[in-house]
Amino acid sequence: MSTRDEWAASPMPAVVVLSAIGAELAAAVRGRLENVGYTRYALLDRASYEHAPAAGETELLEILRALASEITARALVVAEARALRLGPGDYLLVRHDRVHEDRPLELLLDLSPAPVPDAEVHYRHRGQVYFGVPSQPGSLAIVERGPTVMSNHTYVSKLHAGASVVRLVVLLRVAVA
Amino acid sequence: MWQLGTALDEEVRLARMWATAEPFPHLVLDDLVRAESLADLLAVVEEEPIHDYRGDIFSFEASAPEPRTTELRELRESFAASLSPRLARITGKPLRRADLRAYAYRAGHYLLPHSDHQEGVGRSVAFAYYLPSPEPPTGGELELFDVVLAAGEVTATTSARLIEPRANRLCVFDVSDVSLHQVREVLSGLRPSLSGWFYP
Repeated sequence: MSTRDEWAASPMPAVVVLSAIGAELAAAVRGRLENVGYTRYALLDRASYEHAPAAGETELLEILRALASEITARALVVAEARALRLGPGDYLLVRHDRVHEDRPLELLLDLSPAPVPDAEVHYRHRGQVYFGVPSQPGSLAIVERGPTVMSNHTYVSKLHAGASVVRLVVLLRVAVA
Repeated sequence: MWQLGTALDEEVRLARMWATAEPFPHLVLDDLVRAESLADLLAVVEEEPIHDYRGDIFSFEASAPEPRTTELRELRESFAASLSPRLARITGKPLRRADLRAYAYRAGHYLLPHSDHQEGVGRSVAFAYYLPSPEPPTGGELELFDVVLAAGEVTATTSARLIEPRANRLCVFDVSDVSLHQVREVLSGLRPSLSGWFYP
């Protein structure tokens, strides 16, 4: 089954495209994000992570937008883009996520330098996990959000000293003609 | 079943400590039960089935919310009967019954920051009683946070106290919107405990 067929067949559309980008490009993007600068979020009852704006990654965002349009057969535009960086001890809880009343697409591009065991993103429908995105550098997850869908980024264990999880999170909406 | 030592005897002093504790009311009581009764407690806990539990804020092994064995149910009732009257006098809160589950945190297990407070549930005072471990843990401390609230929303969180999970230690703390706490990740060993809440 093709990724497009897989997307179309799912009642809760969500797919992962493996090897969406190469390690060299991922390293270059990580370097540029580092130059932009990360800010730490630390309201610990919700999340602990660093974030950086990614709207400047116009070329990469266009590639991702075009790929998502192809897979979902929707005309899409980029609404938001930011990078998240999690180290040992970091996490984003469901309560830090926000409800999307419309049905935008969320893209997760894994820019991490190496896989990190159990560092996953969980998408939940009415609280239950229905789609898990494992740590796979270079992969792209495409998930349809909606009023009943929430997500969390799982805790990164301190047992993995030096682990670094970098995710580009992009929100796409249907283009208005 | 709970053969208490002298940890709760000085109620006036403990009440003062509870009321003035930072970042929110709590007590740390060592040598809770007489050393000779610890083996009986452990024997009850070891018979209780435990399972993996994972959510966005936790990963640990624990017994079911309602004990499966008669012995653990009796242990819970005995715990509530022995401690509720004393803790009620110390905390100034009406306390009568208690929930209690057995927990086993192994390497990689954690409970991320949360307050325990849920509208309408009635949790009044939380407790954690640490059991002797065959492999004493590194990590697994109970961490209390100082919280700044503005218009009911948390606007700042700062680590304020770390409590080591020492065997035969009871930690009790107030449950409110600001009682933010976590169990830090266990990095090695085993952290066995009995934990739950007292209710009016």
